[in-house]
Amino acid sequence: MYDLVIRNGMIVDGSGLPAYRGDVAVKDGRIAKVGRVVGAASREIDAGGKVVSPGFIDPHTHFDAQLLWDGYAKPALAHGVTTIVPGNCSLSLAPLRAEHRMKLVGMFNQIEEMPLKAFRDGVVWDWETFSEYIARIRKGLAINVAPLVGHSVLRLWVMGDAAMERTATDAEIEAMQGVLRECLEAGAVGLSTSYVDMDERLQPVPSRYADAREVDALAAVLGEYGRVLQIVPEFYDPDLTIARLDQLAELSLQHDIPTTFSPLFVGADSIAAVRRVMARVDEQFARGARVWPQVQTRPIDLSFCFAVPSLLFIRFPSWYRLMRFSAPEEVAAAFRDPERRAKLIAEAAPFDALWPRLVLRHAKTEANVQAIGKTLKEIARDRGVTPIEAMIDISLEEDLDAHFLSADMGHNDDAEVGALLAHPRVHIGASDGGAHILSFSTYGDTGYLFSNFVRERKMLSLEAAVKKLTADTAAIWGLSDRGHLRAGFAADIVVFDAATIGRGPENFVGDVPGGGWRYVRDSQGVDTVIVGGAVAWTAKDGYLDAQGAILPGPTAEKVAA
Amino acid sequence: MAAAPLSRVRRSILPQPGDGWAEIARRELPELAESEAVSKLQSWNLHVFMRATARISGVATPILPSDVIFVEPPLAQPA
Repeated sequence: MYDLVIRNGMIVDGSGLPAYRGDVAVKDGRIAKVGRVVGAASREIDAGGKVVSPGFIDPHTHFDAQLLWDGYAKPALAHGVTTIVPGNCSLSLAPLRAEHRMKLVGMFNQIEEMPLKAFRDGVVWDWETFSEYIARIRKGLAINVAPLVGHSVLRLWVMGDAAMERTATDAEIEAMQGVLRECLEAGAVGLSTSYVDMDERLQPVPSRYADAREVDALAAVLGEYGRVLQIVPEFYDPDLTIARLDQLAELSLQHDIPTTFSPLFVGADSIAAVRRVMARVDEQFARGARVWPQVQTRPIDLSFCFAVPSLLFIRFPSWYRLMRFSAPEEVAAAFRDPERRAKLIAEAAPFDALWPRLVLRHAKTEANVQAIGKTLKEIARDRGVTPIEAMIDISLEEDLDAHFLSADMGHNDDAEVGALLAHPRVHIGASDGGAHILSFSTYGDTGYLFSNFVRERKMLSLEAAVKKLTADTAAIWGLSDRGHLRAGFAADIVVFDAATIGRGPENFVGDVPGGGWRYVRDSQGVDTVIVGGAVAWTAKDGYLDAQGAILPGPTAEKVAA
Repeated sequence: MAAAPLSRVRRSILPQPGDGWAEIARRELPELAESEAVSKLQSWNLHVFMRATARISGVATPILPSDVIFVEPPLAQPA
């Protein structure tokens, strides 16, 4: 007797081979059989007309905090994502001494736009070590988690505040190696570091004070376990990106580790630059190095309202303080004060290129509802004011609850993005799931891959897209029993309609602890999501009981004795 | 089968302990007068030079241990 049989689906097994009609049987959390299944089961799912594939794996997220109050990483799981990798960009929530908690909160707020109130109201700080954090998130965990250790956090643990000031001594590097080993033994999938991020004081994050000797020593520890190194390079500059990927290639070859860098964006003004980067990736792979660029599927959209902190305009000094640190009533007061209003308007004057594409997306008053969908430039013309005056006036009229959208700010040339996504040496990722929650939705990238690049543009086959999101990702990250529909593999499974899978419209919802809000997208076309053999979500019943795993889990064996 | 040699990319270094612009200039561009070499390095490394004209966290140099420092101008790219 099987626990579960999914019948009559089109099996897309993660290998990239053509789909075929068949059944999938599950027993004790594992796939028991794929093909024709005759035996009975405690539960059966009719997948007629739908695709059955391995669960999707999202390799670049920042769900570290959300997992403390939401073990499903909503709505990622509903999109078919059964495994997430948090802890990217040198930031994780463990190991973390009590005295550095607020430092991390500040960095998560500055870099990943995680609201301070969410930490205050949603987090009970009852861990310090990595294994204690793992034990903490296991409570109520319904999605699989392959957590990275953040290099900045590792430095803080060993060096204290000196981590933000200087290189490490030999003894400190040795101590970091020891702590990293403990984290890997406790189940960490690898280490993340950053060469671009700034902390809440607008100073470089601790990982940027590490010299090559330190990074090499930590990579050597990763090599003992065959685990992953993730970095954020200076992605805005191709020469810098190439220099970083060359460094990664040397570490990969020296220590026999997979490495990945993210993000890699392509736009109209960077096509040649990205081709140079990819040519270098090809050369390094030809040497035997593993340097996987991560490319996201979605274009860069940015939404904001002035009731919550926002990224837009923060390049201007007066706006920066207002947007990052002021309560809504302070923002409104500044907008009403003639002198401060004039200064804000003058500072943002160079933003001319923004207005034709900045759209009013949400308002409540009757007069402004009529303007939804219009650009600020059009609205300003109707009102006889400048676009920025219109934006401020509308915001005041709506008690700051007017929402604006700047769509397609980059990474929006489908031909170029699609070619990258289909490239055999590109890793689909960089969703940033769980981060930037007040600027854009980081959920639904998987659905968008299918709707835009498989169905609409036909730049990847269905099987190739599934392989990218499952078997390829599992192989890159060393998740040896994930990513395939094959007997013996973990039963992480998605049932979806290939004709309709996609991402829903972006919605602003108030489900963040502390009364916070975030942009999300619901899934479309996903029918059932199974984690470890248990049905974790269905389109009909929503979220259900399931038990996520920590991957790759406590170390069974080291690569090198 | 041996892999093809890597193509030439823009030459860069990582800072050594105690490196400032002058130290890098003397080591990497010894054929130039120090002031000229420093000026060239700064112009080739605006990502470092422009980041912090002031002191960073009390450290006398704005150059971080992890910074990539280019020691030549951008290479000409095929049209």
